Amino acid sequence: MSNSEDVQVLPLLPLKNSVLFPNLLMPLSVGRPSSRAAVEAVLATEGKEMVIVAQRDSSKEEPQFEDLYNIGTRAIIKKMARQSENHMELIVLGVERVVILRLEQSQPYLTARVRPYPLPDEKTPEVQALHRAVIELAGRAIQLAQPSLPVEVSQFLSSTDDPVRLAYLLGSMMSLELSKEQALLEAATPGEALRMMHKFLTNEIQVLELRNKIASEAQSEMTKQQREYFLRQQLRAIQQELGEKDPQQAEVEMLRERLEKLQLPEEVAKEAQRELSRLERLPPGAPDYQVIRTYLDYVVELPWNTTTEDNLDLARARQVLDEDHFDLKEVKERILEHLGVLKLNPEAKAPILCFFGPPGVGKTSLGQSIARALGRKFERMSLGGLHDEAELRGHRRTYIGAMPGRIIQAIRRGGSKNPVLMLDEVDKLGRDFRGDPAAALLEILDPEQNKSFRDNYLDLPFDLSQVFFITTANTLDTIPRPLLDRMEVLRLPGYSEEEKIQIANRYLIPRQLKEAGLTPEQCSFSDDTLRTIISRYTREAGLRQLERNIGRVARKVALRYAEGKTEPVAVRPDDLPEMLGPYVFSKEELRKELPPGVATGLAWTETGGDVLYVEATLLPGGKGLTITGQLGEVMQESARAAQSYIWSHAEEFGIDAAVFKDSGLHIHVPAGAIPKDGPSAGITMATAMASLYMQAPARPDTAMTGEITLTGLVLPVGGIKEKVLAARRAGVTRIILPRANEKDLPDLPDEVRRDIEFIFAERIEDVLAAAVPALAEKAQALKTG
Amino acid sequence: MDRPKQLPAFFFPSLQSEERTYWRPSVDVYRTPNGWLLKFDLAGVRPEDVHVEVQGCLIRVSGVRRDLLAEEAGSYYSMEISYNRFERTISLPCEFANPHVSLEGRDGILIVRVSEG
Repeated sequence: MSNSEDVQVLPLLPLKNSVLFPNLLMPLSVGRPSSRAAVEAVLATEGKEMVIVAQRDSSKEEPQFEDLYNIGTRAIIKKMARQSENHMELIVLGVERVVILRLEQSQPYLTARVRPYPLPDEKTPEVQALHRAVIELAGRAIQLAQPSLPVEVSQFLSSTDDPVRLAYLLGSMMSLELSKEQALLEAATPGEALRMMHKFLTNEIQVLELRNKIASEAQSEMTKQQREYFLRQQLRAIQQELGEKDPQQAEVEMLRERLEKLQLPEEVAKEAQRELSRLERLPPGAPDYQVIRTYLDYVVELPWNTTTEDNLDLARARQVLDEDHFDLKEVKERILEHLGVLKLNPEAKAPILCFFGPPGVGKTSLGQSIARALGRKFERMSLGGLHDEAELRGHRRTYIGAMPGRIIQAIRRGGSKNPVLMLDEVDKLGRDFRGDPAAALLEILDPEQNKSFRDNYLDLPFDLSQVFFITTANTLDTIPRPLLDRMEVLRLPGYSEEEKIQIANRYLIPRQLKEAGLTPEQCSFSDDTLRTIISRYTREAGLRQLERNIGRVARKVALRYAEGKTEPVAVRPDDLPEMLGPYVFSKEELRKELPPGVATGLAWTETGGDVLYVEATLLPGGKGLTITGQLGEVMQESARAAQSYIWSHAEEFGIDAAVFKDSGLHIHVPAGAIPKDGPSAGITMATAMASLYMQAPARPDTAMTGEITLTGLVLPVGGIKEKVLAARRAGVTRIILPRANEKDLPDLPDEVRRDIEFIFAERIEDVLAAAVPALAEKAQALKTG
Repeated sequence: MDRPKQLPAFFFPSLQSEERTYWRPSVDVYRTPNGWLLKFDLAGVRPEDVHVEVQGCLIRVSGVRRDLLAEEAGSYYSMEISYNRFERTISLPCEFANPHVSLEGRDGILIVRVSEG
């Protein structure tokens, strides 16, 4: 392939992505205007010769001379056909390698001066060895890539006696990167070209081996599955031969049998049959199969018609309730009433109760006790923090992993359609973009609607009307009105100290002793001990802290027994610091004497009641009313009303009106960090102000609660029991209450009523008369006058 | 310039690659009573562009076919005829001690007669 002509001027045809090797044919597709111009010009010559050269960056649409490699291939156009105006197909034949010397012309197409650049003849043993190695590698690569290729191909490869031609041929057959192809074309000697090819082939073989490995792994995976399928078919055939049913059929039969036995409501039965026939038609491998199967299982397991027999023995029910809980008369009466109704009318709708009270007063355990008294199943679920409506109502079956809502799940667990279902912490329902669970509860808790409650998953009406719903809450403020409206609210107020001692003796101590492995004889608590625990280690309306502390004492005692003690232990108040550590709470000491401007008030909190002081002071030279102590809007307004009342009656009280002009007033209610609100401190603030302006101290043993109006009326307030209990705990002996709250007194334990003197006020003058001794006369006169 | 992707699939042997860098004219070979007659299909090749070489029984015909109408014909619509260098070597099953070769061009066919001289 030597060429005698030396330097020639020929058109350049830039090639994207590829290199044309000498001795090889290559089809080309020409579309670029400059390339078309070059080809047209070449076709118009006698010899159809040009130089084909790769461009360095294949993304360049109009490559300039600098964008081309400077070694290319002289080529002859062998065949040509026009596809359209702008597009022609060529077959070109590479003739020889050329080096591009210089650009001759760049418009309308590139032409350049080129000189042949033949490879030196090299017949060294090394080249021969490489030649053979490359032939061998190529044969292996072909075997790996296309095992079905005829043997002739490799024979053909080995028949190529020119090593460079072999390298070029292989280079064009492998899908090498452009830079590698160009490097091969530029190889200075046959040895270098062969070494390069050797490297490429070795790499290619590795890749191919890896590819074959992956392919064969996938293949074996496939054959495993096929084998399994085949074996399953055989198994089925054998089972049929033996007269056994195939498992799927057996499953369907079983479900059908169970469905028929259940005597479902008509709509349910129809739907279930429909699903069953769908199940029958599906192959067990279908994704829907398990979904329908689980659904039918659920339908079958739900207690559509199962009810438990109510225990209508009133005496026994009363006994059970009394056994489990002390006092709580109102709630127990309500339960017994319902039992009475059920006795007369078995179809009566179950009530929907809401137990409302501070933590630890026994709301949840009362629910259990009710279930026991009625002889019904008890199921409990907490709604605290629940914020997804779907949790209650379930997800539609179209979703993957769909489940029924918690209501239906609880019913299934209970296994009867009339359980006692306790929805705990209904006041702590969340709500977000996923929906409002409270709204779902509206349907569930409405006796008119819950006869046909539709869970999203079941999509069948389920009768919830016989479910005895009980909800519990610590506060009613956060329960949406419509929801609260559906429920019968029963208050479980906090316990007094005496009640706590009673409960401790009857329930808590026996339970904790049993936990600790002690007998009642081994460890005893005196009432004084309990009183000390209650006042010094707990501050709560409920009983949890008390029970925990009793438990701690019991464990300490158990430890002593375990260490060898034998005689019984009677826990005395003095032993407590040793067993429980130093006192946690100091007793709420009443202030012994009150300076003018301070009055004792009573507050209701979620954990019970509390005693608080209202402090008022004059700010000489100041102006207006300053109110501090984290008081809410209502309380601030109530402070203003109190001030206005005192101000407007300054003359009658004998207060110098100038003081209102000259001095500001500051009212503070400790403890400053606890937010307070509500109108019930109205009369306390009025008393504090009156005491301040008159410089007459209020009685320290007297606490008060009540709302004040501008005209001086005292209006009733709530939470009387908790407030009175707290006052008593603190040592208050006289309490001023609004007249209208007199009705609440029967709720109070006898010993409280005995210990405390109650004064009922209709007007603020009554309050002042009772609270501030120095004002008694004036106030009385004011009222009558 | 794009090379169509489908053709050089990896290791799919493009057997055309056996082609040399020149084209091979077709040839008919006849046995005659006193030797051989070879007809080379060399349409469009100028007589002065043909070169015949005889070496014993090897007959090599080479040369160049130039596209004579290149300039006057306008632009190509399609092209199938091979141009530029050609070469064909025929090896005859005989040996002439003293071969006599005569050439004759007729209607684009080159006739080569070989006989014992």
